[in-house]
Amino acid sequence: MCVGLSAKVVKISDGTAVIDAGGAKREVSAQLLEDLEPGDYVMVHAGVAIAKITEEDDDETDQLMEDML
Amino acid sequence: MEEEKKKTAREIIENYDGPKVRIMEVCGTHTHEIFRLGIRKLLPPQVELISGPGCPVCVTPVGFIDEAIWLALEKGVTICTFGDLVRVPGTKMSLAGAREKGAKIRIVYSPADAEKYASEHPGEQVVFLSVGFETTTPAECLSVKKAKKDGLMNYSLLMANKTMPQAYEALKGSADIFLYPGHVNAITGTKLCEKLTEEGVSGVVAGFTAKELLTALAVALVKFQEGKPFFVNCYPRVVKAEGSREAQQLTDEMTEACDSEWRGLGVIPESGVRLKKEWSAFDARKKYDIPPIQGKANPACRCGDVLQGKCKPSDCKVFGKVCAPQHPVGACMVSNEGACAAYYAYGDNK
Repeated sequence: MCVGLSAKVVKISDGTAVIDAGGAKREVSAQLLEDLEPGDYVMVHAGVAIAKITEEDDDETDQLMEDML
Repeated sequence: MEEEKKKTAREIIENYDGPKVRIMEVCGTHTHEIFRLGIRKLLPPQVELISGPGCPVCVTPVGFIDEAIWLALEKGVTICTFGDLVRVPGTKMSLAGAREKGAKIRIVYSPADAEKYASEHPGEQVVFLSVGFETTTPAECLSVKKAKKDGLMNYSLLMANKTMPQAYEALKGSADIFLYPGHVNAITGTKLCEKLTEEGVSGVVAGFTAKELLTALAVALVKFQEGKPFFVNCYPRVVKAEGSREAQQLTDEMTEACDSEWRGLGVIPESGVRLKKEWSAFDARKKYDIPPIQGKANPACRCGDVLQGKCKPSDCKVFGKVCAPQHPVGACMVSNEGACAAYYAYGDNK
């Protein structure tokens, strides 16, 4: 139950977002995120989009390794 | 002069030759992903990964299952729940067992689906089994808000929601480094982790992909060798320092702290949340006046020790024999995020 799912926002209307997670589409609540637009990537948890994410994490983890190690 | 080639995260982990270190995966999904991706096989012997209390189904006590069964069988309510809870043993039976006795148990994907079911079935009283940490509580609050807006009188929550800060305090000495659960931090931010560093507790926030997990472990091992308490957010694409203000405001508005029982850890003061008085019409314990129920776990089960990192699943006498995913004795074998289920699925008995 506790797994976060990253998904692409396809449609937004009235605090609800239609998301596409690897081809599977479903409606989730978008009430916790402001300024969400179609094309954004979000982390979905228990039917609610909880955070906006960047599409690729590679740059950030590379930067982290560069900074830290 | 040619610059020395930087080591990759994998090389840092594989070639770690520092002191013995115990890293606690607070989140059950981390436990499973680390197994699934084969990362355990990269670890040198002095790096020990132990599982923590971060699977909400696993830490939910037996008494909660008994309360849900009481509601279903004695009060005839329809129970809506996340699927993993259905096979968790209660004192006498699981929810699956109660279903065989006629209880109405429905598996839903989210609290919003439970609220929708209630609105479509006005003749039924519907109770959603509200478990989870800071990540799940906002979804449960949103369902109650919607129920109020829709004027529903037949929807309520049986709450066992928990918050992580007090658990970190309770587990302080159990590990050298916490692998913090990325999605909880997406909601709460990183202030608490930074505060714990001042108390000598080290940790890194980790994401869930192979690269994110390897990076987090490599950063943890490098920082550990520096000998000072540390905190690094290794999941910056999702976790921001301030967390989700909207989610924090919503839970502050609707819930208040309460003492909460954790399987294995006992009652931890102020480690749970319940609906505030003004929302008590949606609190199943008040609505149905549930009597105090003290659950009793199977004495052979060591889920409690597993959840505190005191033993590995394979140290438990019933693991893999009496207790298996097809016939679980404890919650950690039921849940997809449970440590026992991970050890069983990936065949690691070390």
